[in-house]
Amino acid sequence: MACHKDYEYKLHQYLDGDMTETERDELYQHLDTCEECAIHYKELKKSVMFVQSASHIEAPFEFTEGVLKNLPAKKKTKWWKKWMRQHPVFTAASIFTVLMAASLFFSWMEQSDEVLTVAGSQNVEIDHETGTVIVPEGKTVEGDLYVRNGHVEVKGEVTGDLTVINGEQYLASAGRVAGEIEEVDQALEWIWYHTKRIANDVFSLEQEDE
Amino acid sequence: MDAVVKRLIKEIKKDGDEKAFAELVDLYKDKVFQIAYRMTGNHYEAQDMAQESFLRAYANIDRYDENRKFSTWLFRITTNLCIDRLRKRKPDYSLDEEIKGTDGLTGYAQIAATDQLPEDQVVTLEMQEWVQKAIVSLPPKYRSAIILRYIEDLNIQQISNILDLPENTVKTHIHRGREALRKRLKDA
Repeated sequence: MACHKDYEYKLHQYLDGDMTETERDELYQHLDTCEECAIHYKELKKSVMFVQSASHIEAPFEFTEGVLKNLPAKKKTKWWKKWMRQHPVFTAASIFTVLMAASLFFSWMEQSDEVLTVAGSQNVEIDHETGTVIVPEGKTVEGDLYVRNGHVEVKGEVTGDLTVINGEQYLASAGRVAGEIEEVDQALEWIWYHTKRIANDVFSLEQEDE
Repeated sequence: MDAVVKRLIKEIKKDGDEKAFAELVDLYKDKVFQIAYRMTGNHYEAQDMAQESFLRAYANIDRYDENRKFSTWLFRITTNLCIDRLRKRKPDYSLDEEIKGTDGLTGYAQIAATDQLPEDQVVTLEMQEWVQKAIVSLPPKYRSAIILRYIEDLNIQQISNILDLPENTVKTHIHRGREALRKRLKDA
């Protein structure tokens, strides 16, 4: 046994190479004079050498084959999960697109249920038998006219845009539409119309800001 | 070596490439088996633990941080598995135990033979047995530190990373392990 716990600790510091040169010299001097510590050091050194000399063993024969045999079956679905993890922006964008398209599609489906709707003006006549909205001669529709599931005959004047969904518009020779005339018949066109409208809104908002 | 390991891991991460994984196992199997053998003290548990280490590494390869050393991550899996196993096991296994179905073969025969003459080999085997017994007699936490330090020849910092312990704790474990070994081996 080392003569003192302090020296035992120092011996371990020395074995770990955790000593300054002066500390080391001091320890050497002590080992020269203290037999107990010198023996302790020799025994430690010997134990370490024994452990280090423990022969290096190798993995058993066909170890790798054994490991491979126990691998779980490959998961086929893994690639897209990984792809989604690696491209979160694309994933979010495509989910957004799908949801948007679905919601537009469903709202279009809801709207095509044959009910004639008019938005935009009071100065129109509605012929429910033929499903026609008439802007009579001499009458003026202030602003936009928006007709769903019906035809439109413009004999008078529309100061804004005319939009016809699932219908047709006839512009009589005397009739006048100041804004744009748009006919929307199919889901895709309807979606395109909405996209355009959103874009226009955003654009005009920006313009107003300026 | 490091470049090879990086490439292999990339391939395994990409699509679970089993060929790349086999190469990786071949690179590390001896070291992993060695740690497992010195920790458990017997061939069968060691094989079990080593195999389990690689299977876990494969299953969790996505969690491996490529900026760190692969061996550190792998050895941590191995030491943790072994310490867990030591905690759970009830009967004490021994190298002296006859291996089932091998007709008189004991665990020592599994230790790789060196290129020495047969007479020297007997001495070496006895020595090996004695050293292995001393190692296995250490408490698991000192045992893992001593194995990594003197058999795997790693430095304190690497051991601290593998065992996930502060460097000073690792040093203390090595000190105590050395003292315990000294008491067992001093009369050689």
